[in-house]
Amino acid sequence: MRQSAMRIDTIRAAETRPTTVRHDDALISAKGVSLVLSRQLILQNIDLSVPKGSFVSLIGPSGCGKSTLLKLMAGLLQPTEGSVSIAGLPPVEAARKRMIGLVFQEANLLPWKNAVDNASMLLSIADRSLSRAELRARGQEMLELVGLGDSAHKQPHELSGGMRQRVAIARALALDPAVLLMDEPFGALDAITRDSMGQSLLDIWQRTGKTIVLVTHSIDEAIHLSRHVHVLGIKPGRITESLDIDLPYPRDLSLTEEPEFVRLVVQLRTMLRESHQPGASS
Amino acid sequence: MSDQSLNTAAESRLTPILVAANDRWLPAIILLVATVVAWEAAVRIFDISAFIVPAPTAIARSLIDQWPSLMQATLVTAGEILFGFIVSVAVGIAIALVIVRFDWLGRALYPLVVLFQNVPKVALAPIFILWFGYGLAPKIGLILVIAFFPVTLSMLAGMQSVDRSLLSLMNSVGASQSQILFRIRVPHSLPQLMAGTKIAATLSVIGAIVGEFAGAQDGLGYVIQFASTQLDTAQVFAALLLVSVLGIVFYYAAEILERVVVPWAPKFSRA
Ligand SMILES: Nc1ncnc2c1ncn2[C@@H]1O[C@H](COP(=O)(O)OP(=O)(O)OP(=O)(O)O)[C@@H](O)[C@H]1O
Ligand SMILES: [Mg+2]
Repeated sequence: MRQSAMRIDTIRAAETRPTTVRHDDALISAKGVSLVLSRQLILQNIDLSVPKGSFVSLIGPSGCGKSTLLKLMAGLLQPTEGSVSIAGLPPVEAARKRMIGLVFQEANLLPWKNAVDNASMLLSIADRSLSRAELRARGQEMLELVGLGDSAHKQPHELSGGMRQRVAIARALALDPAVLLMDEPFGALDAITRDSMGQSLLDIWQRTGKTIVLVTHSIDEAIHLSRHVHVLGIKPGRITESLDIDLPYPRDLSLTEEPEFVRLVVQLRTMLRESHQPGASS
Repeated sequence: MSDQSLNTAAESRLTPILVAANDRWLPAIILLVATVVAWEAAVRIFDISAFIVPAPTAIARSLIDQWPSLMQATLVTAGEILFGFIVSVAVGIAIALVIVRFDWLGRALYPLVVLFQNVPKVALAPIFILWFGYGLAPKIGLILVIAFFPVTLSMLAGMQSVDRSLLSLMNSVGASQSQILFRIRVPHSLPQLMAGTKIAATLSVIGAIVGEFAGAQDGLGYVIQFASTQLDTAQVFAALLLVSVLGIVFYYAAEILERVVVPWAPKFSRA
């Protein structure tokens, strides 16, 4: 009974999706993904395509399921219906092939290791053939990429929140993943640090050509950084709007003062406000 | 010239430490000295019998007169404490690891371990004497049953408090359960484990003395019991003093161990 009712909802939602999704050039694609946890419909009929090399942001009200969607992409959760694939592979397999780098709101560094060993920590598990020296070298290289080349021997407690988060990004990049999945990575930082972290991330993206999916609560950050923004609605979590940000790269913070940027902010804010209304099926 | 500056640098580094030590210890020392003086005075003024409350000077005399045999007893008890403590920590860690690593065994073991905590372990001393005789073994056994629990409990708490997103990170690169255990959970648990270890050090002293009370031919617990049957209260106090010194020594040894094992623990790094 429940199950069939849910299917009907799913189909109805599919009909009202605002944009058609093209999966041709997608590195990550979610097709008809629904997720039920503890008998609750958390995500409903998510159709999402993240083109290779693009920068995509997910934005939406608290509790709408952004983190959950990211976990599905990382293979940490399995969808109840539909499928997620990364370069044609199930996410779990993609993760085993070191294609996925994860960054969370908390840096979660190991306090007993210094910055460079933290940066290579995940790599040491993913690739057990690497020697200590190779791991160090890779960790150092990644720290330099995130602008922490001279803090390699500092312990986590000697680093500021922003620096710790940079190490967390270095740790993800050390895997040389095709995809970087980031869940509110700058959420715990002050506004100014946040701006410069965003700018650094943009630089890293342009230098490495990674595909980035960023979950954020900041409208400015979403528009400043990404090429596509998807707005998620609540109850159940679903994509309500998608917005292309056609501003040229490279972008910097002066962009935020331009009329086109301001117009996009207003547009996204309106979409976000509407996404706070629960869906018809709840 | 450079000698001079070195000296002053060393002095300027030392001075605050000395001042801090003064600030910290001076009140305690003053109170202690005052108490001892008042004690001595009370015993003399009220002419209290030496086998009820001996004067501090009588205790000191007993300590000096009996020094060789008291030292011998102290060494025996210290050996029991050290051995028992090491066994307790080892067993406590092993139980915690088994509970975390083998899920079903853990679910079987954990409630039993907690249940066992409700047994008044001091009351086990006579049984251990019955089983293991009067030697070292019953003391080690008693220390073990008294002291392993805080070790197990603190290590378990530490291993289970690893942040979930860190576990997600590990899972995302295909880490095995034992990799997660030994590279994340165990080191993460060390600060808490060291806190449990300090409790175990204190409990080991109690375990050794209780074990000797129940039946022994040597050690400070034996001295206390024997001297009290002889109404040699001064010697009882002298032995008690040595037990306290042992307790303090073991506690601080555990604290030094903590600094060596987990110099990165939050309590040290947030100075
Ligand atoms: N394991 C679970 N079992 C049941 N419900 C869950 C579980 N995990 C998450 N949820 C629910 O799923 C919904 C989405 O959670 P999620 O953490 O993905 O939201 P979010 O969009 O990331 O929110 P925020 O912006 O606050 O981080 C929430 O209502 C939450 O209560
Ligand atoms: Mg979230």
